Amino acid sequence: VFQYAGKAAKRKDRVFVWGFCYSGALGIPSFVKPDAGWKKPRRIQPTPYRLETAEKISSAACGYGFTLLSSTTTDITKVWGMGLNKDSQLGFQRSKRDRMKGYEYVLEPSPIPLPLEKPQQTRVLQVSCGRAHSLILTDSEGVFTMGNNSYGQCGRKIVEDEIYSESHLIHQLKEFDSRVVQVVCGQDHSLFRTKNGTVYACGWGADGQTGLGHYDITSVPTKLRGDIAGVNIIQVSSYGDCCLAVSDEGDVFGWGNSEYLQLACVTETTQVNVPRHLPFKIGKIKEAACGGTGNVVLTEEGNVFVWGYGILGKGPNLIETAVPEMIPPSLFGWSDFSPDTRVAHVRCGLSHFAALTNKGELFVWGKNLRGCLGTGRMEDHYFPWRVTVPGEVLDVACGVDHMVSMVKSF
Amino acid sequence: VSVLGIGHGTKLLTDLYNCHLTRVYTVGGLFGKATNDFSDTGQLVEKTTFDHITREKLERILAVIQGTNRKALLMYSNIDMKTQEAYELAVKGLIRPMGKSPPIITAIRCLQLTLPEFQLEIHCLHETQQYLRKVVHEIGLELKSSAVCTQVRRIRDGVFTLEDALLRTQWDLQNVQNAISGCQLKVKTEIERTL
Repeated sequence: VFQYAGKAAKRKDRVFVWGFCYSGALGIPSFVKPDAGWKKPRRIQPTPYRLETAEKISSAACGYGFTLLSSTTTDITKVWGMGLNKDSQLGFQRSKRDRMKGYEYVLEPSPIPLPLEKPQQTRVLQVSCGRAHSLILTDSEGVFTMGNNSYGQCGRKIVEDEIYSESHLIHQLKEFDSRVVQVVCGQDHSLFRTKNGTVYACGWGADGQTGLGHYDITSVPTKLRGDIAGVNIIQVSSYGDCCLAVSDEGDVFGWGNSEYLQLACVTETTQVNVPRHLPFKIGKIKEAACGGTGNVVLTEEGNVFVWGYGILGKGPNLIETAVPEMIPPSLFGWSDFSPDTRVAHVRCGLSHFAALTNKGELFVWGKNLRGCLGTGRMEDHYFPWRVTVPGEVLDVACGVDHMVSMVKSF
Repeated sequence: VSVLGIGHGTKLLTDLYNCHLTRVYTVGGLFGKATNDFSDTGQLVEKTTFDHITREKLERILAVIQGTNRKALLMYSNIDMKTQEAYELAVKGLIRPMGKSPPIITAIRCLQLTLPEFQLEIHCLHETQQYLRKVVHEIGLELKSSAVCTQVRRIRDGVFTLEDALLRTQWDLQNVQNAISGCQLKVKTEIERTL
């Protein structure tokens, strides 16, 4: 009698990556520099590929050509980065050939040294990546920022003509009114959400994405006012130049770029620099996600609403809309046989969307830029399409041209 | 349920076949054994343990099977995915391969699980009995064990359900005539709808 799996067989945690490989953001060096004679450099990985990691990865974030992975361990190495490092967005990666120089492209997950006071007690809760900067949130030592600071998005004073590549500088931010619980990076700005429900912002503001009432650059995290003053915000999201925040009562607030009708229901202007309440009558909202040109929200009942510009997920005829449109749940696997299948999370990349159901399935739709959708086909998908992942998908992070998912094996 | 056509009905049979309607089966299986033809009457290949299998694991595997088959359904239906009508058909769930295609499962559900036996309800298109037995075997492999198929019973064939079927004791002229008149309307509407 064969025994393949005992009674106490545990489900393993795995990480799957797919998308554009040449930037090194997928973390598999043989895609860029083959280590065997028969292997050829792979430009695009069209289907999910397993990435070996040393620890269980709890949070991942995809930036514009680079990726950060972090785990909640108390070991010295808590965060790994791969991909572009031209602005030191992955910290200083010492080159093996020349001890004084650093790598510009990191091809496999390399540990990022953080200047922690108590490295064996602090845990990293969450990471976030923007265009050329990254934020790391810890539980007791505030937020660490690294990368490009030409717009103040790292929260420190802008130094003129600063050279960002091969920089050892990692800035630490501690002065907030209470503990920071979520960090979000937009393209060139950063948002911090604290336990009290307040939101701070710093960085580029030419589209109003800092929400501080002006269109200038801010280099110090400043509290946002407008319609969210006094409101307990439970989630913030941003990826391009538009930002959304969800309150505990289910209201959604937006600010930033509105050139693609993202905020057109409240204002005609194309830039909104103060948070405004978006009066949608679609029910209590649980989660929101912002993409480059389109936005998506998830309501308490499990319905998905999209609006903005681009491939929104309702066929090729719907290119732009200012009012949220619902995507029918039958496209996410809901049917008479499985009436309890609902969407649990929504995520946004720059021009594509992803939705996770409670059964652990991943649905993607939008522009298939360099294979970022992971479906194995190179065409764009105008309605939600299932991605075949060998396991139950727990979380997914979307970037511009690649995606990373945390999966539990069967 | 087995469909028979009498006289002019034989032409209707080909039309019904071209409608590509789904058939529903209840499939019974047994964990712990693997045979060479996937059923319990074949030659035993290996025996495995199965006490780690729970209802939750089985349902997860069934969800994955359903998802991959749904994707296959969309791909084999030969409709261009970029059109608006493809989106509308996908929403209503009416996308269906209209030509020859490998067997596709449209829905699968676990009716009961009492180790080592289990029963599934499978809705499928263009299937063969061997395919259904293979599905049972593959479910056993995915659960890190093995399974053989013990029972396959068709309970629906397109529009004909168990209620319309006649038992062997009822095979006489009167009952057959009643059955034909009862099903005539259903068959006509189904053919008109699809073709």
